Amino acid sequence: MLKIKGLDKRFLVNGREVVALQNIDLDVKKGEFITIVGHSGCGKSTLLKIIAGLQSQDVGTITCHDRQILGPGTDRGMVFQEHRLLPWLTIRENVGFGLQGIDRKEKERLVEDHLRLVQLEGFGDAYPKQLSGGMAQRAAIARGLVNNPEVLLLDEPFGALDALTRIQMQKEVLRIWEEEKTTMILVTHDIDEAIYLGQRIVVMSARPGEIKAVIPVESSNAKDRGSTEFASIKKRVLRHFFAEEEWAAVEYAI
Amino acid sequence: MSNNRTRRYLTGSLLPILIALGWQAATGMALFTPAILPSMDRVFKSFVEMAASGQLAEDVLVSLSRVVKGYVVAVALGVVMGTFMGMSDFLHNFFSLTLNAIRQIPILAWIPLIILWFGIGEESKIAVIVLGAYFPVLVNTISGIRQTPQGYVEVARLYRLSRWTVFRKVYLPSALPQIFVGMKLGLGISWVAVVASELIAASAGIGFRISDARSLMQADVVIVGMIVIGVLGLLMDKALSLVFHKATPWTR
Repeated sequence: MLKIKGLDKRFLVNGREVVALQNIDLDVKKGEFITIVGHSGCGKSTLLKIIAGLQSQDVGTITCHDRQILGPGTDRGMVFQEHRLLPWLTIRENVGFGLQGIDRKEKERLVEDHLRLVQLEGFGDAYPKQLSGGMAQRAAIARGLVNNPEVLLLDEPFGALDALTRIQMQKEVLRIWEEEKTTMILVTHDIDEAIYLGQRIVVMSARPGEIKAVIPVESSNAKDRGSTEFASIKKRVLRHFFAEEEWAAVEYAI
Repeated sequence: MSNNRTRRYLTGSLLPILIALGWQAATGMALFTPAILPSMDRVFKSFVEMAASGQLAEDVLVSLSRVVKGYVVAVALGVVMGTFMGMSDFLHNFFSLTLNAIRQIPILAWIPLIILWFGIGEESKIAVIVLGAYFPVLVNTISGIRQTPQGYVEVARLYRLSRWTVFRKVYLPSALPQIFVGMKLGLGISWVAVVASELIAASAGIGFRISDARSLMQADVVIVGMIVIGVLGLLMDKALSLVFHKATPWTR
C-alpha cells in the first residue's frame, strides 16, 4: 500500500552536508504494524515527516495506493512525541480539529466514536492541561485517527511518558490497531517497544540513515516480554547496533 | 481560595492606608502650606463640590470618551498590523526598523506636529492617544504571533487548513494572552496621552481641569483630578482583566 523507493534526504548543518536518509526502500502492507528503531538522529523521525508530507525528500518516491505523496493529506494521520493538543481547544474540539468541511452531526458522531475508542468518553469538555500525559496522548491518537487515515504515523509517541504509563499505552495502541485495522508506522528508540508492537521491525543506522535490517516478528509468543522468542528477537535487533568487539559484553548483559 | 483573595486585597490596601495616614499627619502638623499639599479634608470637599456642580462628571465623560475613541482605534490598528507583521517575515523586516525608531519618540514630542496637522480640535487629542496606545499593542501582538509554537502550526499543516483557519485556530488564540498584555499597557498609556493632549487647547476634561487648577494654584483640584484618573484607570484595567479572563478559559 505504502511504497517507499530510493529515498534520500540531506540537510545542511552549519554549512556541512549531513546525510539524514540514504537509499530507503520499504513496502508497507495494508493493515500492517511497522516499528522503526534506531539511535537518536538516525533520521527515523525525518522519514516519518516525509511520509506525512511535512518535509520533502531530495531523491526517491513515496506512493500511497500508487498515488505519489507530495504534501500532507488526510489519508495520513500523525501523532508526535509531545501530544500537541491545542491548549485553547477542549479535548472534543481537538479531536475534531482535522475534520473540515463535513456535516456537523457527522462530525460530532465521529468525534464521540473516537473518544470512546481511546476511552476518553466523559473528558470531551476538559482542556488538555487538565489531562495526564497518557490521557493527552490518547486524545492525540484519537485526533490522528478521526479522519480515518490509511496510515497512522507515530513519532516516539510514548517517549515523554513514565515507564508504567508507557506499558499501558503500548497495550492501548495494540488494542486500537486490532480494532481499527489501520496501518501503523511507529518510530521509537525503545527496542522492547518495537518488538512488542511491530509485526516487522525496521532497524536503522545513523549517519547516513540507512535501513540495516527488517526483522519480522512472526510468533505471537514474541509479544510476551518474558518469552525466549522475545529475547532472541531483541538480540537480533541489538546485534545491529554494536561492533564485533563490543558484542560479547553486550550479549552477556542482556 | 476566597480566603487567599481577601488576604491579597488586604495586603494591597495597606499601602494606600499608610499613604493616607502619612498625608493626614503631614497636613495635621502643618508641614506644608495648603497651596503645596492641601489636607485630605480639603481635597474631599473639593471633590464633593466638583461632583455636586456636575463639573466632575462632565470632565470625566469628556476625557473618557477621548480615551475610548483613541484606544479603540489604537487596538484595532495595532492588532491588525501586528498580526500581519507577525505572520509575514517580509512585512516584519520591512516595517520593524522604522516603527522601532518612531516608537522611541515620546508622545509629548509629537504634540507640536500633531497640532500643525490636525489643529486644536478633537482630532488632534484622539491622534495623540492613538499614537501613544498603538505601539504597546503592536509590539505585543507581533511577539505573541511570532511565539506561536511551530509544533501547533505543523499539526494545522497536516490537515491542510487554510491560512485564515490556521490564523483563527492556532496563531490568534496562541497570541491572545500576549495581545492582552499589550492592550493593558496601551490603556494605561491612553490615560497618560489624554492628559497630555488636554494641555493643547481644551475647555473640558480631567487633564484640562488639572492644568487649569494649577494656574489658579488650586492644589486640591489638581489632586482630585489625579485621584480620579488613578481610580478610573484602575477600574478599566480590572474590567479588561475580567474580559480577558473570560475570553481565555484554557489559561485558568
